[in-house]
This record gives sequence, structure tokens and C-alpha cells, in this order.
Amino acid sequence: MGNAAFVAINLLFLAMIASTMIVPLWNAVAVSFSSDLGSMQPGILMWPRDFGFTGYTSIWTVLDLWQPFENSVIVSVVGTTVHVLFSALAGYALAQSALPMRRTITVGILVTMMIPFEAIMIPFYVTVQELGLLNTLTALILSGMVSGFSILLMRNFFLSIPGDVFESARMDGAGHFRLFFQICMPLSKAGLATVALFEFVGRWNNLLSTVLLINSASKDTLQVALNSLINQQSSTSSGTLITTNVKMAGIIIAVLPLILAYPFAQKYFVKGIFLGSSKE
Amino acid sequence: MMKKALHRRVLTVVSASVTAAALLSQAGLASAAGASASEPTLSIAEGVIGGKNPQENTAFANAIGQALHCKVQLINTSTGNYDQKMMAMLAAGQKIDVVYTEGSTLAELAKAGEVTNLQGMIQKSKVLGNPKVVPQWEWDNIKLSSPNGKGIYAVPVKYQGALMAIVREDWMKQLKLSPPTTLSQFYHVFEVFKQKKGAYGLTLASLYDIEPFMSAVGVKNGYVQQGGKLVIPYATSAAVPVYAWLHKLYVNGLLDPNFVTNSTADERNLFLSSRVGMFVYWDAWVPMLNNLAATQGAGASFDAQALPPALGPNGKGLVSKGDTSVFAIPSNAPNKALAFKFLEWWNTKPGEILGSLGVKGIDYTVKNGTYLLTTAGMTENLDHGDPEPISSYWKNPFPRMQKGYANARAVGVKYGYQPLINANWNNAQQIIWQYADEAILGRLSPSAAVAKMHAELLRQHYIG
Amino acid sequence: MPLYAMLLPTIAYFLIFTYYPLAHAVVISMQQFNLIGHRPFVGMRNFLAVLADPNFWSSFRNTLVLGTGILVIGFVAPILIALSLNEVMQGWLKRSLQMIIYLPHLFSWVVVGGLWIQLLAPDGGLVNAVLWALGIPPVQFMSDPQLARWVIILVSVWKDMGFNCIIYLAAIVGINPALYESARVDGAHRWHEIIYITIPSLARTMQVVALLSIMGLLRLFDQIYVMRNAVIEPQVNVLMTYVYDQGFQQMNIGQATASALLILTVTLFLTLFTRRLIRYDTV
Repeated sequence: MGNAAFVAINLLFLAMIASTMIVPLWNAVAVSFSSDLGSMQPGILMWPRDFGFTGYTSIWTVLDLWQPFENSVIVSVVGTTVHVLFSALAGYALAQSALPMRRTITVGILVTMMIPFEAIMIPFYVTVQELGLLNTLTALILSGMVSGFSILLMRNFFLSIPGDVFESARMDGAGHFRLFFQICMPLSKAGLATVALFEFVGRWNNLLSTVLLINSASKDTLQVALNSLINQQSSTSSGTLITTNVKMAGIIIAVLPLILAYPFAQKYFVKGIFLGSSKE
Repeated sequence: MMKKALHRRVLTVVSASVTAAALLSQAGLASAAGASASEPTLSIAEGVIGGKNPQENTAFANAIGQALHCKVQLINTSTGNYDQKMMAMLAAGQKIDVVYTEGSTLAELAKAGEVTNLQGMIQKSKVLGNPKVVPQWEWDNIKLSSPNGKGIYAVPVKYQGALMAIVREDWMKQLKLSPPTTLSQFYHVFEVFKQKKGAYGLTLASLYDIEPFMSAVGVKNGYVQQGGKLVIPYATSAAVPVYAWLHKLYVNGLLDPNFVTNSTADERNLFLSSRVGMFVYWDAWVPMLNNLAATQGAGASFDAQALPPALGPNGKGLVSKGDTSVFAIPSNAPNKALAFKFLEWWNTKPGEILGSLGVKGIDYTVKNGTYLLTTAGMTENLDHGDPEPISSYWKNPFPRMQKGYANARAVGVKYGYQPLINANWNNAQQIIWQYADEAILGRLSPSAAVAKMHAELLRQHYIG
Repeated sequence: MPLYAMLLPTIAYFLIFTYYPLAHAVVISMQQFNLIGHRPFVGMRNFLAVLADPNFWSSFRNTLVLGTGILVIGFVAPILIALSLNEVMQGWLKRSLQMIIYLPHLFSWVVVGGLWIQLLAPDGGLVNAVLWALGIPPVQFMSDPQLARWVIILVSVWKDMGFNCIIYLAAIVGINPALYESARVDGAHRWHEIIYITIPSLARTMQVVALLSIMGLLRLFDQIYVMRNAVIEPQVNVLMTYVYDQGFQQMNIGQATASALLILTVTLFLTLFTRRLIRYDTV
């Protein structure tokens, strides 16, 4: 097969897949900018019907989103920073073959990834209560401080660093902490960016543990505040009518910070590829 | 070069951790503040009452506290996750004075002795003991959730309403159709809607809700007691003609073909956008649909009205009432007397005003004895958990927002009954809906579907 | 021991927030769990009740069928996409495509599930509109039990493909460029580079991704919860929906916890089995 044909088919393939991915976002945007009634027409909207901003203005008049937004930022940013640091540290330690009981610890961490949250939901709540952390943002930051997933991923990235890099550093008498901060972290930017991105998205979208652990509305996160609008239960006999444009505006508001943050993380895991292939 | 980058990195990490630590301690402080005690604290766990944002919720809690001379902790959880949160709190031994719940969950709580029997207190109460405030039939409905039907374990939050056929009255008038009372008359209405309006006659969300049509054969939703046994009438041969009728609607294009996957929001959207002429929904939504259509210019003529159900051979009709939403007092509540005082107060005028209009100064103002809604009050549409108080003393100060409601409520009061359900009902209902939907789609004959339902319900011991 | 100091926060976290609650859960699973008050021990009765429940076994079968489909297709798809993206030479195009493919992962299942139900609706759905234009009668995708399983599998793969794709892309960055250069010196075609260099270099990442997918296999929940309907429930209800229905609809917390622990046990065996099968020596 010729090179040009290969490139064309490849692009066509990606374009087809990408077009299905655009649909949900685009539909949400189109609906959110429709009028109340226009947004309620059945079917998939690809263009706003009766263009207007009522979806967004209703959300801001009904919900005061600044406080929840601030809480979400604190929990996501601090939580992700702590998470990446501790997961990377653990990943580094597990990547060292010199670590005694390495297998046991690895298995112990693997098992935590298989536990369905529903199994330990009530005991988890009790534990947080025993620690006196109920209804604090600290509890939200602490829950998920590390995860087996991130630890495994980081360990994997550290393992792919060529061994001779370590050897020369160790010759200079560097200890593990120095090796970690001076060599592994800078060489694993792609890995760190990946873990940070996943964790940030996960924390930003987290609903269940916030609902469980937070009691006062002033500490609710954006997802919880919006969820009360978006997921309004349909089988209740009353309730204000939340039109579809308002729901979609809520969804866009919730997802926008993620879309804006994405390119920063992406820089790291695309740049490498780009440099590699531009050497041709 | 490398070294410089490194320093920067270490610096970033350090400063991030410092920030984290600072934030952590700050968060800890915030939770410790505001805990000085002399007045008792009434804690209420709920998923439906209150305002729409943190400030309003605080004001809402303060309003209750001022009335009852106590502090109020309002633990508000959005409906979707409410049950999980309530269970976690109770299981962790947290002491709560009042919990919001619904009939089927109440039955479980009452059976395990986890909520307090209030019957004695209610009988002695000047407010709740007055049948003009809470009519006897409300207590009878709540008693359906009591173990062996004995005792009263909860107090209603609001008038729950009923599910009824809601029709485009403007189309009915324009097409000179008279209100249908039999299944064939309903069929005729749908046929005319299809021919003249290019719309589906009826939409459903799976089998939600077909009681106004089951009414034609006198069959009730949920369980009924028959000779000491629990029977599910929807899974008996009596229901077959209605499934056959629905199948005919589907085949002839009168029933929205998306009914299996519809959510109730889809139904409302179809109805508001003139794609369907009738659906079955709550009485309280009739005025809301009319308001929305009016403010959005959905065709000036738009008029939604409730219809009585199809009448049975004896001339009687049936519509099902909603699973009652109630307040209950956990058996380990620290302030039971105060909690009961709150349940009484909720059913007096100041409580009813708070539950419907909202908080004074935020949702409404009073000038020379007349109530005025603020913009916030307008958007929240007279609903802060109790949009339609039960008490017959209650008069809504804003009748203009209630177009079509009086008629709809009358349908619910005249034909409504409370279906009997228990903890197995969710699973049993799934079996009924599955085979009934297949019958409507034509994959099974109606009688085969009923036979399968019956066999499956027996196998899983949901019926005796 | 500096290595233990590095692990300390992790070990402490898992002991306090995972293993201690897990031990507590084991106790609950052997109790008749009343929310308030006395909680008598009932031994193995909750476990026996779960094992005797036909709904548990049908959910188990469905989990295996859906899980295997998602596992196999979901394993291949992101590799294909990552390799394909890696061939795009224009940086801006590559970045945009990659971001777009990741988009569905940012939305919750409530949004994505609802959207696909609409897209596949027999009346007004985009997919059926296309079929209609081709002269094919409307298909009831979501109310045909056999089709619905495929829909669940494919939508699941569609949503999560961008996620694993990122892991692969990040791993591709780590491939030593010297490998490609020496291949080019030998005059290898682009195809050969992919087959003989890129794919083998991703082997370790593939192992990790496969392991992660298998561990998540039995925890399929949100998607089913959003996309199920009465007609397809017997074919798509999975183990976690069983736990949910037991625990939160029937308030049967003892039995729900017991079934969740059984799921954990099965997952443990599955993982062990795969490790033997693929002979991980390191993970």
C-alpha cells in the first residue's frame, strides 16, 4: 500500500470515530443555548432552537455556583497534588527490586482495586466518622489519597526508565529520595501528566463520596450542586420544572473546566511523540 | 540547566504541600466553628424540602429554628442518593431527629422497629389529631406501611397527588371530541389526534402509568389482599384486554414507539412540543405544564387538562396515588418531643407557607397583608417541599399559577387509591413491566405474557 | 529504610480507609443488619441466601457475557486508535483528534447513556433515521434483548476508549527513538516499524491495561443502571446492579454486603487465573 493511501485511510478512520465523539458535546452545547421550550423538542439537536441564554441565566439565578465551584477547585487541585505525589512515591518504591516483601505489598495494593465500593460504603462512612472528619473538605481530599491504579501506572513508568540512568546516579552516591526527585520525576512527565489528568477528572466528577461525607450545603462541590438540578427524580409528584436547556447548561458548566485543563496535561504526553517523529 | 529545572520542581512540590497543609487545617477549623450549645439542635435528614442553594437552605433552617426555639441542622441530599446517605448515617449510629422517607422504605424501617410509633401522640395532638388538617384517608394510606397494619409510624410531608391521564384540552375542543370514558373511546381520540394533528395519541414510560386504562377492567396496581394471600392484579387474566388494547395502539401507530426507553422527562417534552396528545402524569404537573407553555409561547391555545380514568363495568374508575412521602422519627432520636413539635408545625400555616412559598424576604415579601413573590420565589414555583399542603384550612395565595389544578386534584380525590406495595415490589414490578412491554411490542400474546408473569412471580416467591 | 518511608503514606491509607472498612464489611455480611439497634449474628446465612437466589446467578451470567465483550473489544480498540493517532504527522490535528476521542470520558454515564438511548430510538433517533434513508425499517435497538447487549458493549468501549488510549500514547512516548532509527537504517516500512517495534514495546502496558480491565470486569454498574429498561433487564442486569437493588431498594444490607464480598472473591480468582495464564512475572 502506498504511503499516501495509508495516511488517507488512517485519517478517515480517525475522523469517523472522532465525529461520533463530538456528537454528545455538540448536542449539549446546542441544547443549552436553546430557549426553554425549544430545548424540549424531542430528538438530537445539532443547532440551537430559538437561540438564547436562558439555560445559563436560570442556573445562576437558582443556584449560587461560586461557593461550590471554589470547593471543587480546592478538593480537585489539592487532592490531585497529594495523590500524584504519594502514588508516585509508592510506585517508585515498588519498582525497586531491593524492596523486601515487595510481592506481598503489591498484592495488598492490587486487592484494594478489586473491592466494590458498595461493599465497604457503610464501614467507610463509619471510619470517616470515627476520625472526626465528617463534613470536612479534608475528608474529601483524603479519600482517594492514593489509588492502586495510579501506583501501578507510576511503577510501570519508572520501570521503563533505562537502568543505566540509575546506575550512574547511584555511583554519585544518590539516595532514593534524591533519585526519585532528581531523576525519576523529570523523566516520567508523561506518566505524571497521565495520572494527574485521570485523578483530576475523577475528583472533579466525583459525586457519591461527596454526597456521603458532606452535610452542609456550604461545603458541597459543583457536581453535587448541579446534580440536584440535572438528576431531579422524575417520579416525584412535584418539583419545579427544570427544562432541558438548564440541565445541559449545567452539564456544560461542569465539564468546561476539564476541557480547558486538558491541553495542559496533553502537552506532556503528546510532545514526546511529536519530537520523536519529527526527527525524520 | 538540569539543576535549575530541578530546583524549580522541588520548589513546586514543596509549595504545593504547604498549600495543601494550610488548606487542610483551614478546612478543619471551619468545621469546628459554630458549635456552642444551650438550645437543643433538631437534626433533619431530607431530600426534598428546603431551598435551591446553600444560602437559602441556611435561611430555611433558621426559619424552622426561630419558630421552634432551637437550632436546626438540615442535612440535605439530592434525591438520587438520598437513601444511600440515610442508611449510612443511621447505620453509623448518627443521631437524627427527623428523617424523610417514602412508603416502601418506611415499611422496612417500621418492620425492623427503627422508627417510632407516633399513633398515641398523633391522637392527642391538636394539629395532627384534627381530621381537617390531616384527613383519615392519609393515615389509612400511611398505615399500609405499618407492620400488620398496626400503628402510625410517620406524618405526611404534603398532599401526594395521583397519576392521571393529561390531555391537550385545546385539541379536544377544536376537534369536537367528548371526554372518553371507555377504552374504545380513548382509542377514537388517539386516532383523531393522529389523523388531524399528526401526533401520537399516547406516550408512556414503559408501563408508567397505565392505571387510568386498567381502570376499565377494575384492576388495581400493586398488590391486593385476597383471601389472606397477596395477589398482583396486573399479572392476572383480568388485565389481558388492556394489554391487547395497548398492543393495538402500538401496531396502529397511536402509541409512541419509544415508550420502552422513555423517561418521564421525555414524555413531558413530547407533550409540550405537540408530538403527543396524552400522557399519564401527576396532577400537580397540569398547572406547571400550562405555565411553561404560556410563558414560552407554545401556541397560545395550549391547554393541558386532567381526564377521569376509563370507567369499569360498575361505573367506577381508578387512578393510583403516589407513594406517600413522609417524615418519620428514628427510634434513637435524641429529641423526640421536639421532633414531633416540628411535624406538627409543618402542618400549621407558618410551616405550610415555608414549605410552599419559601423563606420570607428571599422568596416572598408581605405588603399590607398581600403576598408578593420575588424573582427567586418565581423560579422556584411555590415548591419548597410542600407545594400542596394537605390541610383543608390551606388556601394558596397565588391561584393564578394553578390553571387546571383544581380539576386535576378533583380527579385524584374522586378516583384515587393508594396501591399496596412492599419491599419486594420493585422486583415484582420489573417482571410485570418486562412481559407487558413485550406483549405491547407484539413479541408475546397478552395471555402468554400474563402467564409468564404469573409463573415468574411465583418462582421468585413474590406472590403466594 | 527510605523505601518504606516512601510507602508509609500508602500503606497507612489502605489500612485505615480500605482494609479496616473491609474487615468491618465481613462482620456486616454475617449479621442481620438492622440500621438501628441490635444486629444479631446469623453466620453464613446471608451468603447462602445469595447463592440460592436465581437472580444472582443470572446477573453473574450477564456480567460474564457483557464483561467478556467489553474486555476483548475494549482491549483492541484503544491500541488501534493509539497507533493510528501516532501516525498523524500534523501536531495540531493529532492533539485535537486525541482530545476529541477523550471527550466522552469526561461526561457522566447519565449524560452519555441518555444520549445513546435517544440516538438509537426508533422514532426520532439519528441511527434509525439513517437506516430509514437506506430503506431499512426502524430497529428497536434498546428493547431487543440480543441487540441491547451489543449496544451496551459497544457504547461502553466507545466511552472508555479515549482513556486507555492516553495510557498507550504516554507509553509510546517512552519508546526509545534509537530503535526506530536503526530500523529505518535497515530500510523497514512503516508497517514493519509498528509491528516489530511499537507493538512489542507496548507489551508491558498491555499487560497492565488487561489486568486493570479484568479487575474492573465485575464492577460494571453505572452504565447498566442508566441504560437498562424493563424489557432488557433480564439480559443486562449485572452483579453490581444486584448488589444495589438488594442493598438500597430492599434495604437488605447484610445480604448486599455478602454478595459484594462474593464478587470480590470471584475477582480475586479471576485475577489470579489471568496472571497464571499470561505469566506476568512482574506485575
